[in-house]
Amino acid sequence: MDKKTLRHIARLSRISLTDEELEKFTPQMQTILDSAKVLQEINTNNVKPMKRHIPFSQLREDIPEISLTQEDVLKNAKYTENGYVKVFGKIFDSDQDS
Amino acid sequence: MENSKYDVIIGLEIHVQSNTKSKMFCSCPTHYFEQEPNTHVCPTCLGLPGALPVPNKRAIELCILLGLALHCDIDDEIHFDRKHYFYPDLPKGYQISQYKRPICSDGYLEIKDNDGKKYSVGIERIHQEEDVAKLLHYNQNGTAYSLIDYNKSGVPLIEIVTKPEIRSAYQAKKFAEMVRQIVRYLNISNADMEKGQMRCEPNISVQEKGKWQYIDGKISPIGDYKLNPKTEIKNIGSISAVEKSIEYEVKRMVDELEKGKTLIQQTRGWNADKGITEFQRSKETADDYRYMPEPDIPIIDISIDDVKRVSNELVELPDEKEERYKKEYQLSDYDCSVLVADKDISIYFEELVTLLSSSMPIQKAAKSASNWITGTVFAISNDRKIKINEKNIPKSSLALLITEFEKKTLTRNKAESLLRESIQNNKDLKELIEKTVSESNIALNNIDSIIDEVINSNSKAVNDYKSGKEATIGFLIGQVMQKTKGSADPNKVKSILIKKLNG
Repeated sequence: MDKKTLRHIARLSRISLTDEELEKFTPQMQTILDSAKVLQEINTNNVKPMKRHIPFSQLREDIPEISLTQEDVLKNAKYTENGYVKVFGKIFDSDQDS
Repeated sequence: MENSKYDVIIGLEIHVQSNTKSKMFCSCPTHYFEQEPNTHVCPTCLGLPGALPVPNKRAIELCILLGLALHCDIDDEIHFDRKHYFYPDLPKGYQISQYKRPICSDGYLEIKDNDGKKYSVGIERIHQEEDVAKLLHYNQNGTAYSLIDYNKSGVPLIEIVTKPEIRSAYQAKKFAEMVRQIVRYLNISNADMEKGQMRCEPNISVQEKGKWQYIDGKISPIGDYKLNPKTEIKNIGSISAVEKSIEYEVKRMVDELEKGKTLIQQTRGWNADKGITEFQRSKETADDYRYMPEPDIPIIDISIDDVKRVSNELVELPDEKEERYKKEYQLSDYDCSVLVADKDISIYFEELVTLLSSSMPIQKAAKSASNWITGTVFAISNDRKIKINEKNIPKSSLALLITEFEKKTLTRNKAESLLRESIQNNKDLKELIEKTVSESNIALNNIDSIIDEVINSNSKAVNDYKSGKEATIGFLIGQVMQKTKGSADPNKVKSILIKKLNG
């Protein structure tokens, strides 16, 4: 982990970090990575992924149900306007994709 | 680009919204069009902590169905992944999509190229994901802000990715057109591009001829040639814009290269009003979505029986229908392609042929039905902005109209005007036909006396004709037609007239 990688990850998460913060967090991130690395030392050959399987038939049927009210939906929004959630700032230059 | 020193290479990404009733991972209703904002939203599609996604069975069936129609391999397990990016259209901070194992892979779709030949476009993958929220951007006195409506967030979205094998703007348009036809035929999506139910994003590059080749399906340079970077075009709102935007972009890229400039990898937006692509952003670095397996959704097993059950929903697709029309009905290529373009019209046509075939040979029935539908009926439907269906033009009435025309009881003009009248004045077409036919039968019974009357009251024209001005016959025929209210057969009138005048 170096400062450049951390700055990149912060940018992807839309978090701005000061130089001091970068300095402070870089070794901390390294510690986290080192801890996770322990898992990589375990031999998992021939071990099936521990993820549940369900048959296709158990999926949800396509039946619509009542949603939340607009009032409830907007309760957590800091700003609203005419039933919309309102956000400020120029967001056009993002990596938006769908 | 035939004579140019460049090859055009295009890959398409097409998104279609499945027309399920509920969303991809929750039970909120999907029909968000013209609805109050943020009224079709629940904790799951709002991304609230603790809410769990539960996949919609029907949505996955539709994805498999499209894969089967496009000759793909269907995976026996479904794996969902998280695609991370931070943008307000995505409430969870990630989109549930598929990364390493798409449901469908390695298919193809045959299109008809502009030389009439078939051209097969390889399909890399078809996977299932969810749509994002709708954003409206504003700028008020220098303050930029956006309004968010989460109704669209979580609507099932199928993504189709082609191999980079499309070689012209025309082929790209045809491909998009065929995908739209197929998803409509199979009731997978309404695929209205204006409403955003289908979106098409071409990736385009131009490379010097002979300096690149496909290796494992990927564009690779030959020797020390340096590949030109690609452009991705967004904001394409119609099928015709697929072609126009690519033509524009190819020309722009070639012009730049010819000026000795170096291209950069970028995303450009199609501006339909100006007919140009506009720079949006450069893509210097590869996208970094930090994909990871979606831990909230188990692996879903698909059995052979599941796939079989879905395959029962496959119907005759437009290209198959077109072939059958050519063989069975001997119709022209053009007529066939027009008739199959819309599934509802093709069904209307086939039912009309069945009705007509009780009174004429099947090929004649098909030819008549085709002529009437692609001619008069299309024209009226355009003029009056009405759909061609049983309610607006009952097939049994249209069949009667065509039969009377073929029997020469009605002239083409008369038949057409009856059809127009019935639609304009909301009158029963069958009644109009029956009334006119009985009137014209009376007139036809009197045709001899009507012709005599015309001869007697137009002595100048008669003399002109007898003295050699044969063109005058047209005037006399016109007089007879007027008196029979257009119901007489002009050729018949002509022969009787000539007989009487020469006799």
